Amino acid sequence: MEVEAFITVLLSASLRASIPMLLAALGEAYNEKGGILNLGIEGMMLGGAFSGFAVALITGSVFLGFMTGVAVGAISGLIFAYLSVTLKLDQIITGIGFTILMVGLTGFLYRYFYGRNFPTLGVSKKTLAIPFLSKIPVIGPVLFDQHVVVYLTLLLIPLLHWILFHTTFGLNIRAVGETPGAADAAGVNVAQIRYLVAVFAGAMAGLGGAFLSLGNLSLFVPGETQGIGYIAIAMAMLGKWSPYRVFIGAWLFGMVESLAVGLQIIAVPVQPEFILMLPYVGVIVAMVFLARNARLPAKLMLPYERGER
Amino acid sequence: MLKQTGLRFSLVILVGVLLGLVMSLGPGGHVAMSQNSNTLKVGLIVPASKTDHGWNEQAADSLLALEGPLNIKVEIAEQAGYGDISPIFLDFAKRGFDLVICHASGYQTICPELAKQTGVKTAVVENPHAVAKGLVSDYESQAQDVAYLAGVAAGLMTKTNIVGIVVSGEPPTWNFITTGFAEGLHSVNPNAHLLYTLIGAAAYEDVADAKRDTAAELAAGADVILGQGDGASFGMMQAISEKKKNSGKQVWFIDVIGDKRSLDTEGVLLTSVLFDFTKVFTPMIQDIRNGDFGKVYTLDMANGGMRLLDFPGSVPAKVRAAVAQAKANILSNKLQVPAISDPGQMHKLLKKLFPGSF
Repeated sequence: MEVEAFITVLLSASLRASIPMLLAALGEAYNEKGGILNLGIEGMMLGGAFSGFAVALITGSVFLGFMTGVAVGAISGLIFAYLSVTLKLDQIITGIGFTILMVGLTGFLYRYFYGRNFPTLGVSKKTLAIPFLSKIPVIGPVLFDQHVVVYLTLLLIPLLHWILFHTTFGLNIRAVGETPGAADAAGVNVAQIRYLVAVFAGAMAGLGGAFLSLGNLSLFVPGETQGIGYIAIAMAMLGKWSPYRVFIGAWLFGMVESLAVGLQIIAVPVQPEFILMLPYVGVIVAMVFLARNARLPAKLMLPYERGER
Repeated sequence: MLKQTGLRFSLVILVGVLLGLVMSLGPGGHVAMSQNSNTLKVGLIVPASKTDHGWNEQAADSLLALEGPLNIKVEIAEQAGYGDISPIFLDFAKRGFDLVICHASGYQTICPELAKQTGVKTAVVENPHAVAKGLVSDYESQAQDVAYLAGVAAGLMTKTNIVGIVVSGEPPTWNFITTGFAEGLHSVNPNAHLLYTLIGAAAYEDVADAKRDTAAELAAGADVILGQGDGASFGMMQAISEKKKNSGKQVWFIDVIGDKRSLDTEGVLLTSVLFDFTKVFTPMIQDIRNGDFGKVYTLDMANGGMRLLDFPGSVPAKVRAAVAQAKANILSNKLQVPAISDPGQMHKLLKKLFPGSF
C-alpha cells in the first residue's frame, strides 16, 4: 500500500465531504444569529441537490446546475421566512415539515422524470489543480487540487466572519437575534433582516446540496443528503456561530469520518461499529469542550411582535 | 388579522395535503384492488426505493411478475425505513390482505409479533426461528454459493493482488455474500490482500459515504471491489468509474442483487450476484392456497434463485472456466461453502482466511 497516496486521498476526501455540511452550517449560523432556527435545512439541501442535478443533466452545464441549486434553496428560504416571520408559525414544526415535504417531493420528481434510469453526469475530473502548490506532498493535493466550490467556500469563511462580526449589517443581524425590540427602536427592520438571513441560509443549503450531487457524486438518488443538514445545524451551534469555528468543526468531523475509514482499511483490531461511532463521539467531546459556554441567541425561534416585551 | 393568518395557514396545509396525495398516487405508487374471490392480496414492505437496482427492486419486480401467473394483487409500501413499520403492517391487516411480506432483516422481529397480533400471514427475512404453522414463513437468501464464484473471479482478475469489500451494513444476506466471496477468493488466490470496510450500521442508501469508502479502498491499492450497498452501490460504482477514467487502469466492480449493466458507462462492472425472488415467492403463495403456509423457503444457486451476471467479453477464458468448475463442484456437492450470517463469526472467518490482512 502506498501510504502517502492513501493518506492524501483520505484527507482530500475529508475536506470535500465536509463542504456540503460546511456550506449549510455557515448559512444556518447566520440564520440562528438572526433568531431563526431552520430545521428545514436538510430538505433545502435535498431541493438544491435534485434541482441542480436535473438542470445540469438537461443543459449539460454544471454551472447552471449550481445556480439552480442556489436559487431553489433561496426560494425555499423565502417560503420558510414567510411561514416563520410573517405568519409566525412554530419554527420547529415548520422546519421539520419542510424537510418531510422535500424528501417526498424530490423522491417523487426523481421517480417521475427518471424512473429506473439512474442517470449520471458522467465521469470527469472535477478538481482544479493550482500550479506548483498542488505538487506539495500530501498538503498540495488536499488543499490545492480541489473543486472550485471548495476554494470559493474557503474564501467565503473570512468574508462571512467579517460581515457578521465587523460590519453594521452583521451587528443588525446579531441585534435582531438578541434584542429585536431594541433593534427595531434603533431603526432596524427586524422582519427584513430575518427574511434576508433565511433566504441566505436557504441559498447556502441549496449550494451545499448542489455540491453533493454535482461536485462530489455526479448523480442524485432520493434521500441523498442522509441527514447532513441536521449535522450542519449541530455544527453551527458547536462553532458558536463563528464561521471559522464552524469550518474547523465541519472539517474535523470529516477528518474523523475519514479516520474511521482508514482504521478499517488498515484493519485495526477493533469492532467496525466502534470505529464508526468515532465521528459522533468526537462531536460530543468537542461540544463539551468548545460549546459548553455557548449561549443561544436570546430570541432564537421567537417571532417578533412590535411592542411586545 | 388572526382570521387572515388562519386562512393562510389553512391554505398551506391544504397545499401540503394535495401534494402528498399527488405523490402517493403518482407513477411510483402501485395501488391494486382485489379482482375476484380467488385473488390473494399481497402486501410488500420494503425499506427503501422499489427502483434501487438492488434488494428492494428485485423483490418488488419479482412479486409484480407473479400477479398474473399466480392470480395475486400486489401493493408495495416502499421507503418504509428501518424504524417502526407497525402502521404500514396494521393498515395492510385492516384492509384484509392475505399475506404481508416484510422485506428487510430489520423487520424480522416486529413482523412475527404483528402477525400474532393480527392473524395475518406474514413472511420475514432470515429468521427461521419465527416460523409458525399457518402464520409466519421465513425466506432465506443463501448467497454464499454464488458469492463464492464471484470470489473466484475476483481472485483471478486482480492485478494488484488487493481485493476490497465495501458493505452498507452487516445484515445476514451481506454476511453470507462476504463469507462466500472470501472463501472463493481464498480458493484461487490465498495470498491476496483483502480489505473490508463497513460504511455504517444501516447505510444502505448512503451514496456519498459509499463513494468515499470505495475511493479509500482503491487508494489503498484494490483493483477489484465487491460492493454490497443497495442504493449506496451507485456511489461505489461512481468511485470505481472515476478511478478507471482518471488513472487509465482497469478496476472492477462486483455488484450484488441487481443488474447495473445499463449504467456502466466506463466498463467497470465485472459481474453481479443476482437474486430472483420469484423462486421463494411462488411456493410461498402456492402454499397459502394449499393450506401449507409456515415454512422456510430458500433462495440459492441450486434452485435458480441466484446466479452470476454474465461476465463482460474481456474476461479471459481461464477465469470463466475456473468459475464454471467451481459452480459444478458446488452443485454436485463436492464443494460446500460455509453459510455464516453472524457478523462476529464472519469477521473471524476473514481473519482465518487472510491472516495477513486482518
